[in-house]
Amino acid sequence: MYNMISVKDLHKYFGDLEVLKGIDAEIKEQEVVCVIGPSGSGKSTFLRCLNLLEEVTYGSVTIDGEELTDRNTNINELRTKVGMVFQHFNLFPHKSVLENITLAPQKVKGLSAQEARDVALPLLDKVGLSDKADAYPQSLSGGQKQRVAIARALAMSPKVMLFDEPTSALDPELVGDVLQVMKDLAQEGMTMVVVTHEMGFAKEVGDRVIFMDEGIIQEEGDPEQIFDNPQNPRTQSFLSKIL
Amino acid sequence: MIEALMESAYIKSLPFLWEGLQVTIAITALGLLFGTIIGAMAGLGKLSKSKIIRGIWTVYVEIIRGTPILAQALFIYFGISEDLIGINLDAFTTGVIAIAINAGAYIAEIVRGAVYSIDKGQHEAGRSLGLSKRQTMRYIIWPQAFKRMIPPLGNQFVISLKDTSILSVIAVHDLVYKGKQYYNATVEVFETLVMVCLLYLCITIPLAIILRRLERKLDV
Ligand SMILES: Nc1ncnc2c1ncn2[C@@H]1O[C@H](COP(=O)(O)OP(=O)(O)O)[C@@H](O)[C@H]1O
Ligand SMILES: [Mg+2]
Repeated sequence: MYNMISVKDLHKYFGDLEVLKGIDAEIKEQEVVCVIGPSGSGKSTFLRCLNLLEEVTYGSVTIDGEELTDRNTNINELRTKVGMVFQHFNLFPHKSVLENITLAPQKVKGLSAQEARDVALPLLDKVGLSDKADAYPQSLSGGQKQRVAIARALAMSPKVMLFDEPTSALDPELVGDVLQVMKDLAQEGMTMVVVTHEMGFAKEVGDRVIFMDEGIIQEEGDPEQIFDNPQNPRTQSFLSKIL
Repeated sequence: MIEALMESAYIKSLPFLWEGLQVTIAITALGLLFGTIIGAMAGLGKLSKSKIIRGIWTVYVEIIRGTPILAQALFIYFGISEDLIGINLDAFTTGVIAIAINAGAYIAEIVRGAVYSIDKGQHEAGRSLGLSKRQTMRYIIWPQAFKRMIPPLGNQFVISLKDTSILSVIAVHDLVYKGKQYYNATVEVFETLVMVCLLYLCITIPLAIILRRLERKLDV
């Protein structure tokens, strides 16, 4: 299948600190890739380079055939192809659930209010929150917030969805609903890159697991292979700590 | 009884003081109108990526906040308009400029602080959806920041209103100036000053109440 994301020799510096030290990765259309690794290893930075929330120091990132790092690429347009879900949801607190979802389709894609509504309502239904359209984010639980955030990203009809630890700020009993929504999405064929330590999700839904440490990909492979039979001593030591 | 009251020194001063109050209100309103525009520009300028723009506005804010408003008013009235440029700005215009420039510096800090206080994740969420920087500012950051500006802005408005009283030194015919004129003529010093203060309170207290209501209403 076709390469949806292609990363070549990606380096990222924050000042003098080299956080990504040469990442090469290819992610195919409809593939679900889980990224694991210790805190500070550069997982978030890697994900954020995929929609240029972080400037790439050097190397190249290509999404759906368009090179992000090319000066001629329209970044705003490209970002609409890449949905992102954050650990802390980042819902807009001054807007209702429905308005959170309809804002970007209206302002970026130029849909009318009615058209944007027609996009948003089925998505809200899909994440199981039809009854919350007029609620404000502060009245929602963490799990509900994260599902709204997923619907908000989907409203732009992205080709890729990036998830940065989408369940790690949630109470354990709320994790399941969010993972279910992500599972459904994977089954529909969405290309997904998910930073997560939810082993069950990675094994059940993931096509591939990437283990990152110290700014490089140390090991990658099938979820079973990585979790049950890791080859790299760093992977072994990391897994023994989190299991 | 009512007649006695109407004849009292307190009430008799009112028509005269009323003229001063009108001037005070006019200078405050105009000064704050321009001050808010300057403050918004300066506040956003201080958040600019460009070091030069940031530097210019920082210098302005620090000079104004580091010097007394009395010196600023004298500077504009005598120092710049008369001595340096040689034009004769009238006292009223000078008063408006002084209040605008002074309030602008404080409002700049209010605007900058409020925008800066909005979580970085809000900006990232907007950008990740494809909104431009400008759209993110307009639809996401600014509305949230604006709410946070209201209490300190209200506070600054009250301060500026009271600051207009120092303009009496450059012969702006504001409330304090008129009060002085009145008690110099009538020797009813105590009564006149009581009325001057009451008139200020007639504006500041309702303003404080309105602001508190607004704060509660905006607290979604
Ligand atoms: N904006 C930034 N400025 C400076 N250093 C940063 C910034 N963002 C992340 N870092 C550093 O980059 C490293 C990797 O961070 P991150 O990608 O968040 O790791 P992870 O998501 O794997 O925990 C850390 O050492 C972190 O301190
Ligand atoms: Mg992270």
